[in-house]
Amino acid sequence: MTSKDLVLESAADRTSRFERDALVFMDQLYAAALRYTKNPEDARDLVQDTYLKAFTSFHQFEDGTNLRAWLYRVLTTTFINSYRKGQRQPQLAHNELEDWQVASAQSHTSDQGKSAEVEALENLPDSDIKRALQEIPEDFRIAVYLADVEGFSYKEIAEIVGTPAGTVMSRLHRGRKLLREKLAVYAAELGYGKEVEK
Amino acid sequence: MSHLESDQIPCVEVLTSVVFLIEDAVDQLPNAFALTNHLNTCPACQAEVAHEQAVKAMMQDVLRRTCDEKAPDDLHQSVQNLLSQHLEGGVSSVMTQFSMTEISIEIDEFGNVEHREVQIEQTHIAHFIDDDESGHN
Repeated sequence: MTSKDLVLESAADRTSRFERDALVFMDQLYAAALRYTKNPEDARDLVQDTYLKAFTSFHQFEDGTNLRAWLYRVLTTTFINSYRKGQRQPQLAHNELEDWQVASAQSHTSDQGKSAEVEALENLPDSDIKRALQEIPEDFRIAVYLADVEGFSYKEIAEIVGTPAGTVMSRLHRGRKLLREKLAVYAAELGYGKEVEK
Repeated sequence: MSHLESDQIPCVEVLTSVVFLIEDAVDQLPNAFALTNHLNTCPACQAEVAHEQAVKAMMQDVLRRTCDEKAPDDLHQSVQNLLSQHLEGGVSSVMTQFSMTEISIEIDEFGNVEHREVQIEQTHIAHFIDDDESGHN
């Protein structure tokens, strides 16, 4: 479809195209909205707002480009601009890249450490996984969710979130690290991964 | 722990770049060549990257399994209603769009030209749902 066709497309045609192509992502968007907002009421509102915004600017969306990524971009920017306004957000450092490189692991993990981590992941209940994800800071949570649940590439995430690719990498790295640290604590509470303590 | 003999860079440089390796983004790094060389000859780093890859895959499985909520039926319904209201004109929306491009060209005394373009765009959409009860106000 060329941009001239888009101008000629009637409102009714556009609506049915939107219903056919965009509404199928509602479950996915709702699950993401739940992780973003942490509660079902706000998640519902966020999904409604997202669809309304997406619908009113659907004429700007070009057929053939990634509709799913575009919807996630609307969802994420709506969340960042409206839902967290007024909330105090942890500010990330400007030189994030160097920052995490200094803070990250300086030596190899032992074989015991590796197998303990795998054992913990295999045995933790779903509720603990969700709890850990809820507890990591918002910017990290969004990056990890988009990469590891939705399978977006770091370049797509940079587009969706509106940050440079380097920032996405740093948030992914730190977010996953925090998530794993939390899961290790839960696993220890449940008696898994005892080897780590030795 | 250092395997300096295996290449010019120490293991710690590989370890701190592990996210780029598992995201297949090593080309984003200035030391990509040295990293790849080091990795080819250092079993400890290979094991580390393999572990990170395995944990990433496991984590993805676990997260995908746990984060698969379905949107409630009434949400499906209310989004549908919202769209039909829109189409029937039940919802009026006012869209304000503002766009400008600032172009500056500077030529210094040596004839060097510096050209800058800044695009500013802002869109605001306000929705009003027409309500019969409020019609007589």
